[in-house]
Amino acid sequence: MSELQRQQMQRIRRAKRTQTIVFFVLLAGLTLWSAAGTGFYPSALWNGIGDGARFLFVDLLPPDASKFPGLIEPALDTIYMSFVAMFVGSLIAGFLSIFAAATTSPNSALRIAMRGLSAMLRNIPVIIWTILLVASFGLGNLVGTLSLLIVSVGMLVRCYAESLEEIDMGQVEALRAAGAGYWAVLTQAVLPQFLPSFIGWSLFNLEINVRASTIVGMVGGGGLGFAIQSGIKLFQYKEVSMAVLLVLIIVLGTEFLTSRVRERLI
Amino acid sequence: MNKRKLPLLLYGGAATAFFVFSLIQLNLDYGKLLEGAEKFARTASLMVPPDASQWKYVLAAAAESVQVAILGTVLAIAAAFFLAFLAAENITPHPAVAWAVRGAASLLRAIPTLIWALIFIVAVGMGPLPGVLAIMVGAVGSLVKVFAQSLEEVDGGVIEALRSTGAGWLAIVIQGVLPCALSALLAWCVMRFEGDLAESTILGAVGAGGIGFELSHAMRSYKFDQALFVGIVIFVMVFSVELVSNRLKLSMRKRA
Repeated sequence: MSELQRQQMQRIRRAKRTQTIVFFVLLAGLTLWSAAGTGFYPSALWNGIGDGARFLFVDLLPPDASKFPGLIEPALDTIYMSFVAMFVGSLIAGFLSIFAAATTSPNSALRIAMRGLSAMLRNIPVIIWTILLVASFGLGNLVGTLSLLIVSVGMLVRCYAESLEEIDMGQVEALRAAGAGYWAVLTQAVLPQFLPSFIGWSLFNLEINVRASTIVGMVGGGGLGFAIQSGIKLFQYKEVSMAVLLVLIIVLGTEFLTSRVRERLI
Repeated sequence: MNKRKLPLLLYGGAATAFFVFSLIQLNLDYGKLLEGAEKFARTASLMVPPDASQWKYVLAAAAESVQVAILGTVLAIAAAFFLAFLAAENITPHPAVAWAVRGAASLLRAIPTLIWALIFIVAVGMGPLPGVLAIMVGAVGSLVKVFAQSLEEVDGGVIEALRSTGAGWLAIVIQGVLPCALSALLAWCVMRFEGDLAESTILGAVGAGGIGFELSHAMRSYKFDQALFVGIVIFVMVFSVELVSNRLKLSMRKRA
């Protein structure tokens, strides 16, 4: 290796090291700023985790199994809400994503508008949607389903569109060259390639919805979240832990089921 | 009908049937849907123009949300970093340890952050601290899983080679595994922060500090125009992090 190359290597290495140092200093600075702003000090961490563990093992556990029959209905509502939101959401988003993907959109202005809309829908957290909608739709399952649906559409349009943009354009070109129209190209060349990712993203969305549907209830969306929130307000901690246990079962059960379906279909 | 299409139709049919069944069971009030949409349109018209007069409080609360997210994520990264080495099957000291750590992590992950926040609020009181703890616990759960996955993807030959030179466990981890997996781990950290920031904006809705409280407060006192301003701030926060993390992910993918 020549002297010049060695010098160059060293310079690059030094630049990289400075980069790393700057990154970590920045990170440390941000962390300190956050600790100062939130009044956080290391001992609070231990005390907090200790208090949390004490509350968990003394007050919350064991779950009160006698409350189980009363929690079946909210638990089922939670499942129904997330499934309905996924189903309707995937249909709406499947349609909208055609206009949001660069490969299939008939018009680039329409594409940008769709992307913007989906960004708006998904970047406002689901709980915030519930809070906004509860004032007009009242408490209950309807508002929970609607807010889940909104966020599902936002997320799915983005994911579907990204998958649509990754399809093999050769088949599309071939059909187009054969004189096929827009709709024929869409159904014959695009959809068959898109189907596996459509199913994959929809299943992923179901997992997210199940998680979210257990919490929309806390701000008035019905389901298990409502049971948990009211249990905490009434100091019925054993009932709360029973509900949390159900959340756990539902979330893990959905993950198990979706992974099975995924293995079978994709 | 070919072989591939049959299960597809079967699952599709089952999904449609369960959808109809769910709709019947939910027993939604569709009259309310129209009425609510009208009411929402009225509320929305009250929301514009957004009222930014309370910007001082709103921005302070937004900063608090960001701080909660940073602190929670950094603490979680530190904890998950060590736990992941115990959880990854190829470098764990003992398979039983890996199994236990993984199990604990999936428990932490399966309980939504907002429920952790409620638990910590009762345990340590209101304010940003329960938010930090809730974010941290949730993030540890998901980071341990993805960190361990990335560590397991490290080429077995690297570990084998080091072991054959008589290197100890620590040396294998530091010299062999870590350099290979570092960029993947960093990408996971960035993605986790993106999720945690979104989580931290809603923690306030249950009393754990941050901007979520401002929103539920404004909506409860029927100050819809202020609520819209808070909503816009939340959107900008989450969206800008998504943009930045997309950029970072792209540049990392290029380097990899």
